Amino acid sequence: MAMKNVMGIIYTGERDSYLRELTLMRAIAALPVAGRYRVIDFLVSGLVNSGVKNVGVIMQKNYHSLMDHLGSGKEWDLHGKNDGLYILPPFLTRENVGVYNGSLDALHSNSGYLRRSKQEYVLLCNSLIVFNANFSDMLETHLRSEADVTILYSKSPNLRRPEYGTYFEVNSEGIITDVEIDPTRPRYENACMEVYLLRKDLLMDLVDRGAAHGYHDINRDVFQRMIRDAGIRMAGYEYTDVCYRMDSVQSYFNFNMDVLDARVRHSLFSEEKPVYTKVRDEMPARYLEHARVVNTMVADGCIVDGNVEHSMLFRGVRIGKGARIKNCVIMQDSVIEEDVTLENCILDKQAVIKRGGKLIGPSTYPIVISKDMTI
Amino acid sequence: MLKKKQCVAMLLAGGQGSRLGILTATMAKPAIPYGGKYRIIDFPLSNCTNSGIDVVGALTQYQPLELNAYIGSGSPWDLDLAHGGVYVLPPYVKGKHGEWYSGTANAIYQNVAFIEQFNPDYVLILSGDHIYKMDYNEMLAYHIERGADVTIAVREVPWEEASRFGIMNTNAENVIEEFEEKPKNPKNNKASMGVYIFTWDKLKAYLTEDAADPNSSNDFGKNIIPNMLRDQQKLFAFDFNGYWKDVGTIESLWEANMDLLNMPMPIDLYDKRWRIYGRNPGVAPHYIAPGGVAHSCLITEGCEVYGRVEHSVLFAGVTVMEGACVEDSVIMPNAVVERGAQVRRAIVAEGAVIGAGAQVGEATGNIAVIGQNVKLAAGAVVAAGEQREH
Repeated sequence: MAMKNVMGIIYTGERDSYLRELTLMRAIAALPVAGRYRVIDFLVSGLVNSGVKNVGVIMQKNYHSLMDHLGSGKEWDLHGKNDGLYILPPFLTRENVGVYNGSLDALHSNSGYLRRSKQEYVLLCNSLIVFNANFSDMLETHLRSEADVTILYSKSPNLRRPEYGTYFEVNSEGIITDVEIDPTRPRYENACMEVYLLRKDLLMDLVDRGAAHGYHDINRDVFQRMIRDAGIRMAGYEYTDVCYRMDSVQSYFNFNMDVLDARVRHSLFSEEKPVYTKVRDEMPARYLEHARVVNTMVADGCIVDGNVEHSMLFRGVRIGKGARIKNCVIMQDSVIEEDVTLENCILDKQAVIKRGGKLIGPSTYPIVISKDMTI
Repeated sequence: MLKKKQCVAMLLAGGQGSRLGILTATMAKPAIPYGGKYRIIDFPLSNCTNSGIDVVGALTQYQPLELNAYIGSGSPWDLDLAHGGVYVLPPYVKGKHGEWYSGTANAIYQNVAFIEQFNPDYVLILSGDHIYKMDYNEMLAYHIERGADVTIAVREVPWEEASRFGIMNTNAENVIEEFEEKPKNPKNNKASMGVYIFTWDKLKAYLTEDAADPNSSNDFGKNIIPNMLRDQQKLFAFDFNGYWKDVGTIESLWEANMDLLNMPMPIDLYDKRWRIYGRNPGVAPHYIAPGGVAHSCLITEGCEVYGRVEHSVLFAGVTVMEGACVEDSVIMPNAVVERGAQVRRAIVAEGAVIGAGAQVGEATGNIAVIGQNVKLAAGAVVAAGEQREH
């Protein structure tokens, strides 16, 4: 069966309190990563590269930057006459209070969109994990196993967290036999990636019943209950490539640093699975006479005249002469003036560090400089 | 009849650019990569969109495949519009016989019907051979203000080079009194930039007259402009003082790229109010490895640098491996410089592979050129000024 018979729905209302200043003004899905992307780019590109033509993005709070980023969906070729990109923010009606109380609530509010879409299957995804998948094998496995729901999982240590996450036991036939939610110490190594594949009519039925019971969260209140329900066949599909959960400042920082590793970089970015994003038409990065840059990724539009080591420079960053930058993530259009020293820092967009400034954070707890700050 | 447009641009993009040697073997000159992420045609197209001119007819003829694919729907330049946009106009069959564009004027003449659809007052003629940023609107205002029949953009060139250009001899009011193509003893140093604004009625009349003349070479510089001068029409020169570079030869293409490494840049491509748009390769930021060196250079997204890059321009997706060295060179998209190879004063075209330990070009002398997709064997030596097509 062709992937065009599958629609994608991305829920972007995750818990984000551990990301401190980084998610004050934006959803995790809109978090800038890897020099020129946003978290959601990987998922949308993965869906599109797999052949999905209809992608709905459920927006929750702080969705301005996400809407601005996705636009008409043109960068992902999701701007056609049929299907394409659908942005689904909360809205106010007699039944809706203008904010989604959870993913189930959001799906219930958008049941009209679900019903009108002509696809028979839905890939329901959460947008806090960065990975670049092709979902067509997952679909084939799902059809072959005759499961009701197939859930993507990974054994990657990057997804394991104490007291957080969903972990499964999967038997030799790929059927999920037990589930743990937010265990203090996860007993199973299979971490749920919060990507669910199922028939659209089943999803609509579950949403309808869930809403009638006053549930809010499709993951916790519906799927996890169903795993225990003997009448339902829940299968797991293992994702074996690299994946990263963006749920804290530390995990965000580690991900950006890991992309400097060729194995991770080439796995996330390859010719077969390009990652699309909003284009800025910056000119190429320029290295001046005094530039000394090693083990660093540099996006277009940067001008570098200082020393940079083991760092990630987003588009349009300026690094002055004599500056020493190490283990830093420096977002779009930030300016590092001459003779500045930075170590273990995350600079949000358009931050300015004045001449001679010095900021050294511990590697286990990077310093975060908020957007538009001048220091 | 479509919605009326005040001014329609016609972009002459069919030129072969034979002086660019093997670089234009498989693509027309306007499709040549420049400046790390652009192609020459991005400049006139971006100038149009930034000037608010939103109908552009792109006339293609020589090796149009690459160019047509590149222009596509015009979306990178915001020229994918419901009313207007960019139109690719190749020569076509009329009645029982087809004909090629026999000259620049003939290319426009064969597309009179295209222009008439928009019922324009003025037509802007552009060429796809130059690197410059120009507000065509200022030139149009100048043209309208003087009630000109044609306005020709001119740029002062060094006197010693004036004999290489089409020179406009003007009076104190910038009225063109004489036009000399490559004069031996130039009387003026105002060179035509190949940018014309015509009042459409006038242009149409002269194109029709020219088409009826069997001895004409159907060329703007050789026929249309001299005929208008003969009839004492109102021809004005419009002075342009910004950066303007004809990239007609290997040397000038190389120089135009090297110009971008000067600080301040002679042409500001960071200017947010006048961005140069282009088709984006959509690859990750570039990576400089622990042993990599990058000095005085431009490097684009998708590159991986394990070796040494000095005073060079690297396009998207270029790999420079360990121990390799790239100096004073232009490396076009997806080319690979393998271990220990040395590239100096060279242009390496798209997709070429420089084998391990190979030596391309020399620290002085003419520019060496490695053609598109050429796989240069390990240890090969390419002398200064040499061109390798295989």
